[in-house]
Amino acid sequence: MTNHTKNVRKGKSLRFSRLHLPGHLMMIIWAFIVLLPVYLLISNALKTRVGMYDNPFGPPIPLTLNNFKAVIDQGNFFMYFGNSLIVVSVSLSMILLLGSLAGYGLAHWQGKLSRGLYFFFMIGMMLPIKIATIRLMELMKTLGLFNHLSSIILIYIAMGLPIAVFILTEFIRGLPGDLYEAAHMDGARRGKIYCSIVLPLIKPALATVGIYNLVPIWNDLWFPLIFITQEDKKTVLLAVTKLQGQYTSDWPRIFALLTLSALPVIALYLMFSKSFVTGLTAGAVKG
Amino acid sequence: MKKLTAIFVAILILMTLMPMSALAGEAVKLTMGSWRSDDTTQVQALLDEYKEMTGVEITFAPTVPAQYNATLRLQLDNGTGPDLMYSRTFATSKELYDAGFLMDISDIPALAENFTPASLEAFQADDGAIYAVPYAAVSQIVYYNKAIFSENDLEVPATFEDLLKIGQTLKDKGVEPFANGIASNWDILECVFLGMLPNYVGGAANRALYETGEKKMNDEAFVKALSDFAALSKFLPEGFEAINNEDGPAMFGIGRAAMFIDGSWTVGMFDDYPDLELGVFAIPAPEGNEPGLCFHSDMGMAGNTATKHPEEVKDFLAWFASAEGAQEAANLLPGGFYPMINLPLTLSGEMAQSILALNEGKELDFRFIWKDFMDMYTIMVDNLNAIARGETTPEAAAEAFAAAQEEILAAKK
Amino acid sequence: MQPSLRHRKTSLNPGGGYWIWYLLPAILMYSIFMAYPMLDSIRLSLYAGTTGSREYIGTANYVRLFTDPVVSARFWGAFKNTWVFFAFHMLVQNVLGMLFAVILTNRTMRGRQFYQTIIFIPCTIAVMVSGYLFRLLLNPQFAGPTLRSMGLNALVHPWLGDPKSALSVVSLVSVWQWVGIPTMMFVAGLQSVSEDLLEAADIEGCNSWQTFRHIRLPLIMPVIGMIAILTFVSNFNAFDIVYAMTGPNGPPNYSTDLIGSLFYRYGVAGEHPIGIPEPGVGAAIATSVFVMLLIGVLPTLKATQGKE
Repeated sequence: MTNHTKNVRKGKSLRFSRLHLPGHLMMIIWAFIVLLPVYLLISNALKTRVGMYDNPFGPPIPLTLNNFKAVIDQGNFFMYFGNSLIVVSVSLSMILLLGSLAGYGLAHWQGKLSRGLYFFFMIGMMLPIKIATIRLMELMKTLGLFNHLSSIILIYIAMGLPIAVFILTEFIRGLPGDLYEAAHMDGARRGKIYCSIVLPLIKPALATVGIYNLVPIWNDLWFPLIFITQEDKKTVLLAVTKLQGQYTSDWPRIFALLTLSALPVIALYLMFSKSFVTGLTAGAVKG
Repeated sequence: MKKLTAIFVAILILMTLMPMSALAGEAVKLTMGSWRSDDTTQVQALLDEYKEMTGVEITFAPTVPAQYNATLRLQLDNGTGPDLMYSRTFATSKELYDAGFLMDISDIPALAENFTPASLEAFQADDGAIYAVPYAAVSQIVYYNKAIFSENDLEVPATFEDLLKIGQTLKDKGVEPFANGIASNWDILECVFLGMLPNYVGGAANRALYETGEKKMNDEAFVKALSDFAALSKFLPEGFEAINNEDGPAMFGIGRAAMFIDGSWTVGMFDDYPDLELGVFAIPAPEGNEPGLCFHSDMGMAGNTATKHPEEVKDFLAWFASAEGAQEAANLLPGGFYPMINLPLTLSGEMAQSILALNEGKELDFRFIWKDFMDMYTIMVDNLNAIARGETTPEAAAEAFAAAQEEILAAKK
Repeated sequence: MQPSLRHRKTSLNPGGGYWIWYLLPAILMYSIFMAYPMLDSIRLSLYAGTTGSREYIGTANYVRLFTDPVVSARFWGAFKNTWVFFAFHMLVQNVLGMLFAVILTNRTMRGRQFYQTIIFIPCTIAVMVSGYLFRLLLNPQFAGPTLRSMGLNALVHPWLGDPKSALSVVSLVSVWQWVGIPTMMFVAGLQSVSEDLLEAADIEGCNSWQTFRHIRLPLIMPVIGMIAILTFVSNFNAFDIVYAMTGPNGPPNYSTDLIGSLFYRYGVAGEHPIGIPEPGVGAAIATSVFVMLLIGVLPTLKATQGKE
């Protein structure tokens, strides 16, 4: 085969391969698998209870908006929503701030003590936090934080830190050392290097940590259940429990409420995932 | 960096200290814990009425039903429990009383006047102290679809054998006889088997013989009950292994099954199914046996020993045990929950009344294992599931019951 | 590859006295609100009863956990189930995640953001709802008629009531829900593979498998290790999907009982119907699992994170 024909063939196959047909096929199949239950979620939120059980797969005919209406009208929906948003945004920003600072420190500081501290954080990923419920209740009682959002926020920050420290330390360790030296030669202080060089470079890792913690915090029921009994401090998921009876639950209405509650999570996800694209300019990090 | 850390620590301290200053005023405000999140509106209305009368404000704060025991226990341990709380019957609440969390309310005179000893037994400590006002009882019965019955020329069965015949007739015609499944791991025992049991072992007097060990749970009565259960389980619907106690009412409600054995508490759920023609009958006794019925004490109202306002809590409980309070509460009780007070009260709800009417002329008792044999619960559920799946025989299950009974009685001594 | 930090010590590094200030806020927060309460609760494994009546009983809870015929059968059953659950996540979730990530990091492919968002959507649905949706989908009574009318009779089966299929179904639903997380992490890892390298490989005539095997895979080894560890620890604490799909007892016949649900049942909620928890036994379960996790995690860390 001459070099010429090889290049021609390559040109063709390149154009063809740029269509990424197998990739699209695979993605479309998975999209179908994902969207079928999502269709069930939304279409059944538009049905009555009888309609749902009668034919869960069927289209929502007759269509009823009552579930959505009831959720928004009766349930103080926006208040619960606001509480959840406060909890998530404060917790996540603190997790990212404290986690990246600690990761920066752990990545640079080499010694027995630093390895010990790293391990200390890892412990937090391996034990179920529910085990500490009684102690946490005592702590929150002493601090007078029952029925305050800060009770669950403080726990969520602590809960998110092990994974944040784990992922961010690994990530910062992987950054090229030259970067720091160059900056240091230029006389930049380390605090400044953290802000102006490290933070922008670890954006994808920050986004990963953010998303990783976003979901369990938004969807946690246990700690709000224990610490929040006051109506005006309830989170969305805690509000859902009002729709759960002793023997039966109003599922179409729960579907409606949780369809709405998934929207901000998707929005936050889109916001975070943007930094995958912008965070890494080609060539800045070569592994 | 040191500065940043210092600022952070300061913020942390501020964040945790701030709420302390916000500790509020002194008016008497009580909370009431409950697992009945279903009844929030009705109970709060009752409590608002109480406030009009006495000036004491009580907030109804129900939690997720499935998490009630766990969260209540944690809150009581922590000293943050509600002042008033719904109380389960027998072992669960007794344990809370023994741990010192529930008030001894034996000195409320209305208790002895307005309630039968049998009703009080569900909330009584070993030394005879009463720790909750009996509130509501439930029964386990058979719901049936009148339309399906008349289409197939069927009548309400008089005996268990008739019930099995109905099952066979329906099955032959391609109609699912029952909507019961085994996936929840509780209703097959609590509603079906323990619902059947009074027809076989009789009432409280006979139950006591098993509790002393005089009778064994592999005797003739038990084997017969288990064999009848096995015969009944042939008529459970397709996929019963995966059907739980939430699927059952829905399946029955939309007319996919002719009958559903469940608690009286379910009656209100069927309001959601306008096309359903609902009827009820008691689980029939086999030919030649005296009919019994499981009428079970389900909830009481208790006070927290750690409350800041013991006077007000006691006053509320006394009112709750009085004829006046019981009538107010009965007006608001959801369908299928029956006041336990020993006075003639007016009840709303036609269907709920016809369920209560099934009690007449039958030997009544609460769920067989609730008093002494709670530790057999899992063994019983596992064996009933195995019978339904065809993995064990009624005789083998009876042997397992008797062995567990023996073990529990031995541990008591 | 340029030397990264993990491979060099520089004289410019100011040492622990300096770096501790970066760590202190996180350490404080984590110690007060998580580490101390948790480690202190582990002590409970040496006690019986609850707060009101606590009594030191030495290792009796552990003895009970490993020798009592009922409790130890539950523990080892749940232990085995959790490994199966974990295997599904490693072999299906993480492999799918990597495959998706490789597809989604083709710079010339269109609609990447769109696909990635779709893959992520299930993560945003609360587990209790996704669990119920699948209960409905898999229920022979409610979904049966539709499936039969489509000729899919073979799909009409009490999947969640059959001890042979229940655990696999629950695992696959969990995979369905969470595959977006490893996808996202692999995307983050693969995106750091430089364009130059890939172009060079392209010019050399490497096919996509070779490019993957020799360029991308080695570079994302640390990410793979990280995901393996995160999957491992989260699977050993998982319980809400079981709770939502089959129930706290892990029915049928305890075939979907995981370590997480076992811990919840014994240590937090207590068994139905009495519902009196035994925090001591719960703590003993958590401690035993912790030790096992350590045995699994530490070598993985060493192998994939290239630490000396």
